[in-house]
Amino acid sequence: MYNLEPSLIMHVDLNSAFASIEQQSRPMLRGKPIAVINRRTENTVIITASYEAKSEGVKLGMKFKEAAKLLPDLIAVESDPPKYRYVYRKLLAILNSYSPNVVMKSIDEGIIDFHGVPLQKTMVEIGYEIKKRLREEVGCAMRCNVGIGPSRFLAKTAAGLHKPDGLDVVDATNLRSVYETMKLTDITGIASHMQRRLNAVSIFTPIQFLDTDAVTLQKVVFKSVNGIHWYRRLRGYEVDDRTSDVKTVGRQYVLEKRNLTHAQIAARLHHLCESVGYRMRSQNKVTRGVHIYIRTVDRKYWHTCRMSQIPFYSDKTINTIAQQLFLKAPGNVQEIGVRCYELTNNDNMQVSLFNDEIVREQQLVGAIDDINKRFGDRTVHSANTLGTGGFIKTKIPFGSVRYL
Amino acid sequence: MNDELFLNEQVKMVAVFGDGLNPCRPLKFRRTNGREVDISEIGLRHPTMQGKRMLHVFDVTDGSADYRLEFDAERLTWHLTREADHV
Repeated sequence: MYNLEPSLIMHVDLNSAFASIEQQSRPMLRGKPIAVINRRTENTVIITASYEAKSEGVKLGMKFKEAAKLLPDLIAVESDPPKYRYVYRKLLAILNSYSPNVVMKSIDEGIIDFHGVPLQKTMVEIGYEIKKRLREEVGCAMRCNVGIGPSRFLAKTAAGLHKPDGLDVVDATNLRSVYETMKLTDITGIASHMQRRLNAVSIFTPIQFLDTDAVTLQKVVFKSVNGIHWYRRLRGYEVDDRTSDVKTVGRQYVLEKRNLTHAQIAARLHHLCESVGYRMRSQNKVTRGVHIYIRTVDRKYWHTCRMSQIPFYSDKTINTIAQQLFLKAPGNVQEIGVRCYELTNNDNMQVSLFNDEIVREQQLVGAIDDINKRFGDRTVHSANTLGTGGFIKTKIPFGSVRYL
Repeated sequence: MNDELFLNEQVKMVAVFGDGLNPCRPLKFRRTNGREVDISEIGLRHPTMQGKRMLHVFDVTDGSADYRLEFDAERLTWHLTREADHV
């Protein structure tokens, strides 16, 4: 019934990663409640909090000024992406030294697949060794959770059981007892929306979820093959060993002030277009569509998009289309975003035989990207965005390691 | 809110270059005002590029404040770029 294969998947998750890295690099912050923020304003949102802050009720996504009311001693620390990238690379190097099959799921968590790797030690011993190496090679304040299981899902579940600094194994022998201690929303992939859907068919606990047959999950609950995936996933069978291709590339920005002119907002949009274009080309992609959205001060959402027949990839083209779309946008803008969609590989791009301009543009864009790669982000950029870099800073992308 | 001071102060440094995981260990530095700071712990060292130049960023403490020191691997200079205390 359950997957009886040996537990050869290990999930390693840094605890409160950014906050721990800050506490590691600045010893005076250790043992104190800190919140990592992206901007030095009171309206900014907390992206990570230390365990000392979390224990006092500070949550991720909370506005800093609300958290500071709850905990007046809370120390705000602005995020420092180069430092986080360095720790990410150190973590990746440690994980890579155990197996060639390592996948980083985000900046602070990775999966090691030990299938086909001759093991000199038990998985638990390797888990403790990774914790020790992290402390030695990065710093004594660094802690991680290690989860071991026969599948990626069970390994991640195990990694979430005892935070911080835990190590657990979940396999066929104990998965039922582990589910008994959990709520539905503790399961990775089950958020409030999915919880409501499960509740609608009288599934209120992970055990009830586990005991539901495959046909009910497929035909009644999920009405798709996802039902079968969940049936197998909960039993420890591997269904998550997939890599997804990048489908869209986007970026958004909350305006630093409310009274910016149309031209100032357009310059920030131009900056976003340059950032999106660079990221897209770094993935060797070209686009056919540009989508922009606006969120107004009174929380109204407006969006529009345009598709082109011919793929394009230069910042200039992306920006031209985005600016045309932006002309129709409403006023009172608070947040603006741009996204490229309908992406295809650059290798498939057909270049017209008689159009030298496209070839010249390709060479120019390639040369600018090379300069920026070598001398740093935005060494060469459009004159229109000269002053915007002080506001729109490169931040750490969550959930993806594509742009690290 | 953040209590860091951002500086760009060249400092005189005593450092040890050895082996192991952290081959460069700054020990103490003298600031332009003459004050000497003894480093009691190196929190984190990370490299970063400034154009073509490699900078090694050391986040350190003397037990009463945190400091950020940057070692320019091309010019062989040390700069104090941040100072923070949380008392």
